[in-house]
Order: sequence, then structure tokens, then C-alpha cells
Amino acid sequence: MSTSENSYSEAEALNLLAQLERILDLDPLIDEVGFIHPSQLATLKEEIGNSLSSEDKDHESTSFWIRDHKLGISTQILIPVYKAAKHAFISALRQYKTPGNFSGKSQDDTVAIEVMIHSKALLLLSCDFATAWNSRKLIVSNKQLLPILMDELRLSAVVLSHSPKSEQAWSHRRWVINMISRNCSTLQWIIERESELVEKIAERSKMNYRAWNHRCWLVSFMTREQVLNELKQSRNWSGLHVADNSCFHYHRRLMIWNLEGFCHIQDNNSSGYFVETYQVWKEELDWNESLIKRYVGREALWLHRRFLSLYLIKHIATHLLGVSCQSKPKASVDIDIDSLMDHELCLVHSCSTTIPDANFEDFQAQAIHSAAYMLWLTKQIPEYQGINIQEKLQAGAGDLMRMLKRSCPDRSSLWDYLVGYHSEP
Amino acid sequence: MGELAADKHVKYIISVEKKKDSFESVVMEHLRLNGAYWGLTTLDILGKLDAVDEEDVISWILKCQDESGGFAGNIGHDPHVLYTLSAVQVLALFDKVDILDADKVSNYIVGLQNEDGSFSGDIWGEVDTRFSYIAICCLSILQRLDKINVDKAVEYIVSCKNLDGGFGCTPGGESHSGQIFCCVGALAIAGALHHVDKDLLGWWLCERQVKSGGLNGRPEKLPDVGLLLLVGSFKLDHD
Repeated sequence: MSTSENSYSEAEALNLLAQLERILDLDPLIDEVGFIHPSQLATLKEEIGNSLSSEDKDHESTSFWIRDHKLGISTQILIPVYKAAKHAFISALRQYKTPGNFSGKSQDDTVAIEVMIHSKALLLLSCDFATAWNSRKLIVSNKQLLPILMDELRLSAVVLSHSPKSEQAWSHRRWVINMISRNCSTLQWIIERESELVEKIAERSKMNYRAWNHRCWLVSFMTREQVLNELKQSRNWSGLHVADNSCFHYHRRLMIWNLEGFCHIQDNNSSGYFVETYQVWKEELDWNESLIKRYVGREALWLHRRFLSLYLIKHIATHLLGVSCQSKPKASVDIDIDSLMDHELCLVHSCSTTIPDANFEDFQAQAIHSAAYMLWLTKQIPEYQGINIQEKLQAGAGDLMRMLKRSCPDRSSLWDYLVGYHSEP
Repeated sequence: MGELAADKHVKYIISVEKKKDSFESVVMEHLRLNGAYWGLTTLDILGKLDAVDEEDVISWILKCQDESGGFAGNIGHDPHVLYTLSAVQVLALFDKVDILDADKVSNYIVGLQNEDGSFSGDIWGEVDTRFSYIAICCLSILQRLDKINVDKAVEYIVSCKNLDGGFGCTPGGESHSGQIFCCVGALAIAGALHHVDKDLLGWWLCERQVKSGGLNGRPEKLPDVGLLLLVGSFKLDHD
């Protein structure tokens, strides 16, 4: 038996490929694949015992390990199996694409199956091999049956189990979901499962941009109820991952969509709508504040607050403007931008002036983030008719600037510049 | 301050080009053209582009071209805008863009613009502002920018602007330094930089600098040398 990576003959490599494909065929519920060093593989075999039948050859028992739908592949065979899979895949694809093959004969199906089998093996080894993903799209788009599309989601999930950042795997999911959305009533259920999948992956793979981007993409398929539900549910997760900026961005996506994505189905000028959306935002602000007080010095929390405050103020101002212009009854909730800003100033003041322990960096970070937050807000809030918050903020800005420069002297020139840029009265 | 060990960098790049047998290099076969762009640009900056055989490189690149006009990451793979740009850029390094049928390549890209102005990466439809940048950059090098609907392209990019002044990969996507580089770059080439809120975005970018002096790609992430290039180049540009 060969021991080094490069000394597998072509026949041995083909044999390994056949074994891999047989394993994949025998267990369609495999949900996780990993690459394991031969020594670890041997240990696994000893500990748990070989679950393969006694008829299996030597190669199989030293190159693969499978139990409870988890598949381990020895790192020793990766290159030979990859090469064999690639060769088999390209050859099958070439055959599938040759002009005679689109005649609809049963021969087509055989070749198509070959392409699917080999591309699957190939993608487990080289997850971003786009041509393989594309061939599956090509074949699947000729059938478009739900079970087949679900299989594609399953394969992508297996790939993501060892490569959670695989751009191709995520993109394939979106293509499949677009296919499903065209004519399938189970779409909402699928969207929920997708959202859960992202959360599961995000747990293992922190701030995974591709995963969270996918979740943001799902939002446009959600019903209003799902959006509000997602917001509520994801607060639990976010509260445990306060350094994960991506999860807060997801909140922002949900909230903006709630505000703007359903405007075609309701009257945006109604008081009821305004109150409802205001409450959602106020809840989020209160929740954010509780996290800020509990987890000291977390940038992501303060950045989220920038967005929440600014949007809320703009939203209220727009409503008040609409009310005064159209003489409609004002919302029954007592909403006052002034008191909102007073609250924020108070919060910032308490965070930026009390530094109980100078040795504990987080308190200093809290002071800096809170001050930067207020400065940022000062610059972003435009002047509204009859409401001028600028003066109130400018009064406090001097103190904040002094504090910032003291705590973060290397950024002095930055603070000066940032405060300078909108300083015209 | 020490000197850059240029020779060592050149040696490293050449060695990576030749090393095709490790698993790591084998699973990157499909994006070899991207690797070629990064490696060759580095050699060019170091003044050592002659360390590679120009004819060899060019003939390989041309074999990567598909009948649609687009380029694949390697011979026999499917075409995509990512590799099409790399191909054009590498040819530009060698001053050989004119060997291309510019209309054929541009038609491939033009065909990928969607109604909302966005660009798909290939016929399978994935949309990302990176592809907008690629399309605009590539067509600009080929001097065929007028073939696409530039206004619509700009409109789409602007729709990906976030409240923090940054840009994501699609509308509502999280701001990311890499995406920002692409969006700002695309707007710059299209003569539409006025859509960028320079001060707001500048603030966001400045906040990417961490205590060590390095730059991260998004809040709370670790600094990354690649991002130093992206964020740094933006800050040099935007004044």
C-alpha cells in the first residue's frame, strides 16, 4: 500500500474515488465532512470501532471513516482522489455537453447522473470549484423538482460544514432558493431553515461575512411576521455575541426592511403604522442600552446605537412633518425628540466620565466609543423644522472632545478633523 | 528602517508558480488567473516582470478564454468576470491588451449587466458590487465603457450605500472594506464620486485602524495586511 501522497497509481486513485462515491451513495444523510490526518483516523478507528462491513478492503478502512452521518477523509489521499474526481467529472461533463446529448434520450440521464456523482465528490474536496457547481445548476435547471433542489441545499450544507466561508457554496444556495421561489409553497419554511442554518454556522465561524450576507439576502423573502419574529429571536443570540458586528448589521437589515419593505401594503401615513414601528425601534434601543451597560466597551454595540438613534430621530421628524403638513392627528404616543436626545446625552455622559478602574481597558474603550457615538450623531442629525438639536449637542461636544483627546491622544488629529468638517452654523 | 528584500520576494513568487503539487495549490487551480495577476503585479512593482516568460504566460491566458469572450480561472473551466478582469490586467502589465478582440470581451461583460444596473458574475446570476467594479474597471481598460448603462450601474452601487457611509455587496449588505474599495473605485472610474459621502466614509475607514496601527476590514475584526492595502489606497485617493 502506498504511503506518500504522490505515489498512488491512477488505478489506486480511481479505486479510492469509487469508494468515496459508494460511501456517499450509501448514506445520503451525511451532514458533515472533515479531512483527518491518517494518525487521527487510526485513533478514531481504535476508539469507536470500524462501522464498515468486514468485506471492505484495506484501503477503505484506512482512508475513510464514517459514523452517525459524519464522514472523515484521510489527508493522505486527498490529492489522488481530487485528481481522479476532477478527471472523471470533466470527462462526464464533456460528454453531457456534446450536441447529440440534448436529444432527450435516456442516455442523457445516465451521463447526467455521472456528472452529479463526480461533481459531488469533487466539491467535497475543492469547495470553490465553480465549474462543478455550475454543471449541477445546468442539470438541475432541466428538472427543477423540489426534492432535487433540496438535495442541492443538502450538498451545500455538507460543504459548509468544513468550509463555512465558501463563496460558491453560499451562492449555490441562493440560486436554488431563487429556483424554489418560482413555484413552491414551502418557501417560507425553507427561508426559516436557511436562517437557522446561518445562525448555526455563525456560532462556529465568528463574523462570517458570507454567512451573514446570506441571511440578510433572505430578508427580502420574509413576510412581515417573519421579520418581526426574526428580530425577536435573534436578540437572544446577539446578546451572547456582542462583539459580532455582523449580527447587529442583520438587525439593522431587518429593521429597515420592516420600515421600508412593506410600504406597498400599508398606509405609511397612518398613526397606527407610525406607533408600531416606533415601538419596535424603541424596544431595540432599550435592549441595546442594557447590553451597553452590561458589556463594557464593545464597539459593535455603540455602532448599532448610532444607527438606531439616527433612524429613529429621522423617522419621528418625518412623521411630525407629515402631521403638521396634512393636519392629521398626531400619534398618541408621547414622542419627543428633545427628550430622546436628553436621554442619549445622559447615557453618554455616564459612560464617558466615570472610569472606575483606569487599568481596565474596557472602561476606557466605553468612554471613547460613547463619545465618538455622540460626536457622530451630532454630525449626522440635520436640522429639522422647528427642532434644533445642534445647539444642545454643541454645548456638550467640548467636554467630549477633551475627554477623547485625553484618552486617545494618538487620534487627536482625527477628532479635530471630524469635528471640524460640519462646523458651519 | 530596513530595506525590502526584493529578491527574496521574487524567488518566492516564482516558486509558488512552479509548485503545483500540494493540496493547497491543487484546490486553487480554478482561480489560477487571479493568482497570476497578484504575483505578476508584484513582480512588476519590484521591476522584475522579466523573471517570467512573457510568451508562456500570455499563451496560457489566451487558452483560458471561453467562446463567450469571457475568461476562466484556468484552462477548461467556466468563464467569470473575476478572471476576465485578471486576464485583461495581466495583458495590460505586458502592454499587450491589443492582442485581444476587445469587442468580444466587452460583449461578454455587457451581457452580464442586469436591468437594475447591477452586474452578475457569470450566466448563473450571482450579483455583487465587486462585479460592478470589475465590469467598469475592465471596460475602462478596454476603452469600451460606453457599451454599458453607466448611469444605471452607478445607481445600483449607490443603492448599496449604508448609513455608516460604507458599501456592502448588495443593497442592505454589511459595510466591508473590500466592498468599499470596489464601490468607490467603480464610482471613481465612472466619474460619480460625488455620491460618496467622503467625510462619513472617511470616518468609518479611520475607525478601522486599531491600536497596533494595522487596519481591519470591519468593526471588531483583527487587522489584516490585505486590508491595509485596500483601506490605505482609498484614503490616498479620496483627497
